[in-house]
Parts: sequence; C-alpha cells; structure tokens
Amino acid sequence: MLFFSFFKTLVDQEVVVQLKNDIELKGTLQSVDQFLNLKLDNISCTDEEKYPHLVSVRNIFIRGSTVRYVYLNKNMVDTNLLQDATRREAMSERK
Amino acid sequence: MSFFGFDPTAQQHARPQQQQQQQRQQQQQQQQPLDFEETYKGYGDYEPEEEDFLNDETFGNNVELGNNFDFGHSQQQQQQQQPAAAVAAAHVTHRSYVAAAASGTSQQAHMDAAVDLRPMESLWNPNAAPAHAGQAAAGEQVEQQPRVLSMEEIERNQRQMQMHPPPLPPQGYPAVQGYPMPPGNFMPPPGQNYPMMAPPQQQQQFQQQMRPVFNQPNYMGYPGNAPPPHQQQPQQQQQQPQQQMVPPQMQMPPQQQMQQAPPHEQKIAPQVAVPQMARSSSSLSQSSNERENFKSHQRQSHQRQPRNREPLTPEEQKRLEVRHAKVEKILKHSGLMTPRDKDFITRYQLSQIVTEDPYNEDFYFQVYKIIQRGGVVGESNKGLIARAYLEHSGHRLGGRYKRADIALQRMQSQVEKAVTVAKERPLRKQEKEQSRENSNNEGSNSAGSSTTGQSNDNRDGVLGKISSSLNSKAPRRQLQIPTSNKTLLNSLLVNDEHATATKPTNPDALMEVTESLGNVELSQKARVRRRSSYAFTSVDQSSVLSRSGGRKFVLSLIETVYEEVLELEANLRSGKPIDNKNLWDALHINDELYEVCPFISMLSFDKGVKIMPRIFNFLEKDQKLKLLQTFFSELSHLNIIIISSYKTNPEPTEFQLKQIDVFQTVFLKIIVSFLSSSSNFIEIMGLLLHLIKNNNVSFISTSKIGLNLITVLISRAALIRQDTNRNNMLSSPEISTWNEIYDKLFTALESKLAAVFPPKEYIQKVNSVHLKGHATPSASPQHYDQAYIWQFLASLALSGKLNHQRIIIDEVRDQIFGTITEAEQLKENAKTPNESDDDLVYRREKLYQDLNLFLNVMGLVSRDGEISELK
Repeated sequence: MLFFSFFKTLVDQEVVVQLKNDIELKGTLQSVDQFLNLKLDNISCTDEEKYPHLVSVRNIFIRGSTVRYVYLNKNMVDTNLLQDATRREAMSERK
Repeated sequence: MSFFGFDPTAQQHARPQQQQQQQRQQQQQQQQPLDFEETYKGYGDYEPEEEDFLNDETFGNNVELGNNFDFGHSQQQQQQQQPAAAVAAAHVTHRSYVAAAASGTSQQAHMDAAVDLRPMESLWNPNAAPAHAGQAAAGEQVEQQPRVLSMEEIERNQRQMQMHPPPLPPQGYPAVQGYPMPPGNFMPPPGQNYPMMAPPQQQQQFQQQMRPVFNQPNYMGYPGNAPPPHQQQPQQQQQQPQQQMVPPQMQMPPQQQMQQAPPHEQKIAPQVAVPQMARSSSSLSQSSNERENFKSHQRQSHQRQPRNREPLTPEEQKRLEVRHAKVEKILKHSGLMTPRDKDFITRYQLSQIVTEDPYNEDFYFQVYKIIQRGGVVGESNKGLIARAYLEHSGHRLGGRYKRADIALQRMQSQVEKAVTVAKERPLRKQEKEQSRENSNNEGSNSAGSSTTGQSNDNRDGVLGKISSSLNSKAPRRQLQIPTSNKTLLNSLLVNDEHATATKPTNPDALMEVTESLGNVELSQKARVRRRSSYAFTSVDQSSVLSRSGGRKFVLSLIETVYEEVLELEANLRSGKPIDNKNLWDALHINDELYEVCPFISMLSFDKGVKIMPRIFNFLEKDQKLKLLQTFFSELSHLNIIIISSYKTNPEPTEFQLKQIDVFQTVFLKIIVSFLSSSSNFIEIMGLLLHLIKNNNVSFISTSKIGLNLITVLISRAALIRQDTNRNNMLSSPEISTWNEIYDKLFTALESKLAAVFPPKEYIQKVNSVHLKGHATPSASPQHYDQAYIWQFLASLALSGKLNHQRIIIDEVRDQIFGTITEAEQLKENAKTPNESDDDLVYRREKLYQDLNLFLNVMGLVSRDGEISELK
C-alpha cells in the first residue's frame, strides 16, 4: 500500500506521466486506486505535434500498468516521511 | 422478405378464409373459456426447414457474431423512433439473438410480476375483443400484406399465450411488434402494421378486434404506465395522409385527443378504457415500453413526450435530438444493475483500499496529511474514503433527491462494511490455505475439499483477479530477496566481526596514554572503559566502523533504532503505554563488546543523526545523560569531529560541509536543549570530565563541532555558576571539583590555544566550496565565520581565573590583532569604490562583534583599531 498511499498525497497536484509508449502527459492528478490507475484532468501532451489526437482530450484515465514514470515536483515529497513509511511497510511485512 | 422460403401469396387466400371462419365461431363462443390448443396458429405445420439459406435475409446478413454483448437497449429504441424511411435503411443492424433472448426473458419476468389475479372484465364483456381475435387479426394482416413472422415472434406469441391466455392473444401481431427483434426482419415498411391501411371491407372485421380492452393486465401492475402509449405516436401516424386513411368507424376521438393534447392524456387514469385501436396503432413503441417501464418510468415522459408536440421548429427539433441523444446515452445502461449490485461492487472495491489500521498500512498518506494541516488530525480515514468515493460515483450532490448527507451516510456505511470484508480477507486466506493443506493430505479427496475452499472465497476474482499472493497490498517485486539468504548474511556479519577482531589496533599502548592522562581521580566514579577514543586511528572512518561491529552491523542497528522509534511513535498515537527498553537496547549505549561504541558509529551516518531528536523524545533523563556521557567519552571517534577538523580533513568537500551543518542543527541543538533544561551542575561537570578524560582535547578543539561542544558545556557551567552565585550557593566540593576539571581542561588546551584557529588554507578551501555551492560572488575568501572560536574563547575565559585569562590572551594575541588589522583593512577597502560598501561595513562590524565577545569577558573592547577598557 506504500505507493498507493504515496500517490494519494499527490491528488490535486500537477504531475507529468510518461507512458510506456513514450507519450508524456501533464495534468492534475484526480484520483488513484490500488492498481495505481491514474485519472488526470486538464491534460496537455508534451509532444502535441507527435500525438495530435490528444490535443482535444481534457481528461484521461490511465491504466496503471501502462505507466512508466510519474514525474513529480521535488517539494511534493516528504522524503524523511517516505523513508519512515518504507520502514513501516517493511516492518509490517516481516510480521 | 421471406422466411424459410415460404411464399405468403400462395396461402394468402386459403388461410384467411379459414381464419375468418374461425373467427366467426369465436364470436359465437365468446363466453366460452379459451382453449389453449385453439390459439395455436399452426405455423409449425409447414414443411421441414430446408431452405434456411435465406436466414440472412430474415435476420440480417451481418449480425455480429462476437461475444460483445450489448447490455444497453438503446439501439432498438432508436430504431423504433426512427422514421419509417430510416427503418428501411436500418435493415442491416447488429442485434444478436442473445440480446433478444435476454430481453425476452426480462419481459417474461416482468409479466410474472405483472400478473394480476383479478378476473378480466373483457372475458365477460360481450363487446370485448374475442379471445381468438388474434388469430383473425393475424390472418387479416397476412391478407393485407405479405405476412411474415419470424421464429421468434412465434415463440413469443406462444409464450405470451401461455402467460395470459385469454386477453393477450388479441394483440397478436401488434403486441409482438415492439419486441426486440432483428429489425431487418421485423421493422415493417410504413403502414404495414397499421390497420387503417387495410382495404375497407376488412375494416369491419378489424374493428371488431379494435374494441376497447379494459384493464390490460400488463398495465395493472404499473398504473403509471397506462398513458405512455398515447404519447408514443410513431411519426408515421402524425403524417397527414395516414390520418386521412383512418376510417370513420374507428374510434377517432381518443386518437385526436391524444395527438392534440398529449399532456392532458397523461392524466388519464389506468382504469380508463384504452381503445384497442390506439394501442395497436402505437404498438410499435408500446410493447417496448412495456418492457422498459419496468426499469425507467421517467424515460418515457422525458424522451417521448416531446415527440408528440407538433409542429416543431428545426432548432427545437435539433435541441430535442441532442437532448434525446444525451438522455439515451445516460439511460443506455441504466437499470442494468440493481442498487444492491452497485453496493456490492462498491463495497468490494472499497475493501481493497480501506484498512483498519491506517497508520500502519497507509502511513505516508495519513502522516503527510497531518503534517500538511499543521498537526491537526482531520477527518477520519473512513470518512475521507467515503467522501472520495462519493465524488467518484457522481452522487456527491445526493442524486435525484439532493440528499448529500444521506448519500454520504450510505457511503460511510459501505466503507464500514468494506472494512469488515477487508478484515475477513486474511481469515479466508487462512482457511483456504488450511483447506489446501488438508486436500494435499487427503490426496484422493482433494477434489472435494478444494471445492469447499473455493466456495469460501468465491467472491475473490469477482472484479478481476484478486489473488491472495499478488494484490495491491503485496505487489509482485522486481527484486526478490530470498529469505533463506538471511543465514548467509549473518555469517557474513560474523566474518566481518572476525576481520575486525584481527585488525591490528593496538589498544594497549593507547590505554597507557589514557591512563596516565586520566590519573586525576575525582569524586565521581571514574569510568573504567576498556577502550579509549584518545587516538588518531579514528581518522579512518571505516576503521572506526569496523571497530564498532562493521558497517553493515551499524547500518542494521540504525534501522533497528528507526523501527523501535516508529513503534513507539505508533504507540504514542494510539495511546498505548510506552516502553523504551527495546529502543534503549537497540542504541547499544552500554555495549562493551566493541572497541568503539556502536552508538557513536551510528552518528557517522546522516540518518543516524537525524533520528536523534526522535530518540530523545522517548528517553528518560538518566538515559539521556548516559547517552551523552558515552557521546562525550568517545568524541574523538565521532566521524563528524574528524571531518570538521582542519587537521584531519584539510580539504572538506561540499558533502562533508553539509554533514557538519546537519549535525550542528540537529544534534547540537538536542545537547543544548538538554543541558539548559534538565541538567544540573554535577551532570555537566561529569560530561566535561568524560570529554577530557577520554579524548585528546587539543585535537577536538581543532574541529568546529568539537569546539562547539566544549563551548556548550563550559558556557552552560558558567551560567549555572553565575546563577547560583545569587540564589543558592554551590557547595564547596562542587566548586573545587569544577576548578579541578577546568584546570585539567585548560592544561589540555594550554599552549595549543592558537591551534583552534584554522589555517588560512583551510578557510580558503571551505570558502571556495561554499562559493561553489551557493555561487554567491560577493563572498570573499576572507569571509569565514569565526564567531564559534571567539565564543569558545569567551566562555573559556569566563570560567577561568585571571591567570587563565592572561594565558589565553597571550596565546591568541596574534589572532586578536590579526582580526583588528583585517577589520581596518576592510575599512581601507571601503574607501575605494570597487567593492560594495554595505558588505564591507557589515563584515567589519561582524569581525569586531565576534572579537568583542571574547574581549568583553575581560572587560575590554576593541573599536576602530584600538583596544580599550570596557566602560
């Protein structure tokens, strides 16, 4: 649940999602579920010339398995807290 | 159109006559109960089906064979509403038998529900439609038009007859018409199904079956549905020519009424007689309506009523179309799932993401939110999930009744249930595993027991694969670390320790030095440690680590400490009692096994430093003291001392400078707060003693951190002394002890005081690194903050006697005057305009300020290049 928990904190933040087919979409994260499916709002494609079909799309649902990267702003992450959360996760698994 | 190659024209004359006769008989036997056998139209009497190559024609030649089941019903509805012209074009539609069958069964179910056990008035009403009229009607229609019935229609007729033998057959052909049928076969050309197209001589007969039928059973169950047929005038009927063709005998008034005033029609109560004429004329949409009204009543009023209004302007029409399309889209799959189904799905989805223990499984999110809100614990976890889900489901506003609160309550209860499901999950998993084990044991009986296991968790996988081993809570790892390697790891650690044990560290020689230096016995019990940090062997960090158990060991210790702290913090949150024993053990403060205390080695990692404030939250006062005693005793081993000393690390890197900063802001802060808040004079003396006794003080004083630490101790001691001078006097043994300790410290530092000042090269190096890091061009190589040195000297002088002060001044005389010259130099530079005045003035002020920290202690002050007495 660590990643799910983490991505939940990014809701309403602007992220850039790179898909495994190289499409990069910038948008506001609307929601995320346990499969890390993402819902983006107000999306814009970074390479609109290459993917013109995305110009008119405003929001999108992305299946989690098709995501390669999610680019975040540095200040969206509390790294110390993330370390703690990781430790907790590891602890709960060991139990 | 043809069905099985049947030529309707050949039979056209024979059959109708037959049926007409039948009908006459029926009229005579009107009062008799209906014989089921007589309702059979005899379509099965034909030759065996051989020529089914015409099926394409019958059912449409491109019926999709895929398994994409169309759950919606829109297609047909759209077609039903299409103008007849379009219907012809719509012959090629995709409609699977499956869909037809499905809707057929729903119809059946609907009828089941609709059966009213009240006797039908029409049965006794002499004017009511004769029971066998259907046959006649069908026959007539065959006469009127080449009559074609599909297999389905027949089946449906039969089913209907079974359901409602007496009243329904009269509907015969028309009733069937609205069923979801392959439109290619079914949608007749305009007018085909409308009796008014029939030749006049047949109208007479026809009219007989057009008699009003009271209390149609289908309508009984759904009183609100009686009106719709009136509203659903197919477009053809609104066309003038057809209206003119309606013969006068037919019951015109109701028809006109409904066309002219549809809204009024809506008010007609169900019991009002509905002319059969009207029914049959509108049957196209009516029977489909029967099917749908089971699900959505509003739909009819919303989407069909406007169609009756005429004339419509093009814009209105367009708007209506748009609206209609929208409504159609929304309603396409409406009613497919019952609220119970939806609840179930929602609960199942929720059960995957809710957790009973959010601070454990959803730690990051929970704590992050608290941090963001500034420490305020907000809405409960479940409440948040309920709210979020409500927004997803689009019921945020409460749906139709605008009861958002109720919607939220409902969702909250769903979340509660989901938590229960989530709770059950591990149980079921266990059961499953158990049953699996059992089945394995039983061997031949495995099949039986595994099925019971399956029935236990048959809900798993309802919404896709939710396996117990691979789910969102325990996703598949890219990196798998087999647990069996743990033993290997341990053996590695052991090897590590062996290696350290064999390392030639020669502690005996160092011991002698320590012993000789620490020969001053004080009132406090001297700690006899087998180890000492009084050595330069600590310069090499890896050797320090290896002497405290090895790098891996230290790192694993840090992790253990983190885990204990997290555990304690969790307990704190949940209000459980706090027991820091494990944490204390994990710190290895009292661990004498290693040459260097593992705790000191922990501090050589940033994460080890960062956890310290959180550790301190859970330690008792004596534990803190013990920790600090250990810390000061082994200061020379402390990595941060080594990298912050210009002697051992003449060329610090940017990273190391950052480490120094972190240590200063984190650990030094803790010490200062501990000393100032909860420590007494004796404790401070003890700490200082630990520092002096076990360390090379002159070396420590060459490092910034070390000097800071000494400063903190002696200035705090000085403060307490000053304080107690006024209030309660320190006992004389305390004072004498202090003097002894101070003497010892001073002796260690004497003749090396000038060495606390880092050399020019070091300053330049640090400045250049800083410069690289911050890229501030204004910082000159001379800009190195020496305040900490002057603070140290000031506190040293403050605690010392006059002769101490004299020695200090003697030793640092050069630095004092160096600083003054530097300041005056800056003043000179300020006169030339090439450097910014403000910066120079500021730096000059700073230099004097720092210097005066020290000079003021001795009643001196330096100003404008001169040193004078403080007035």
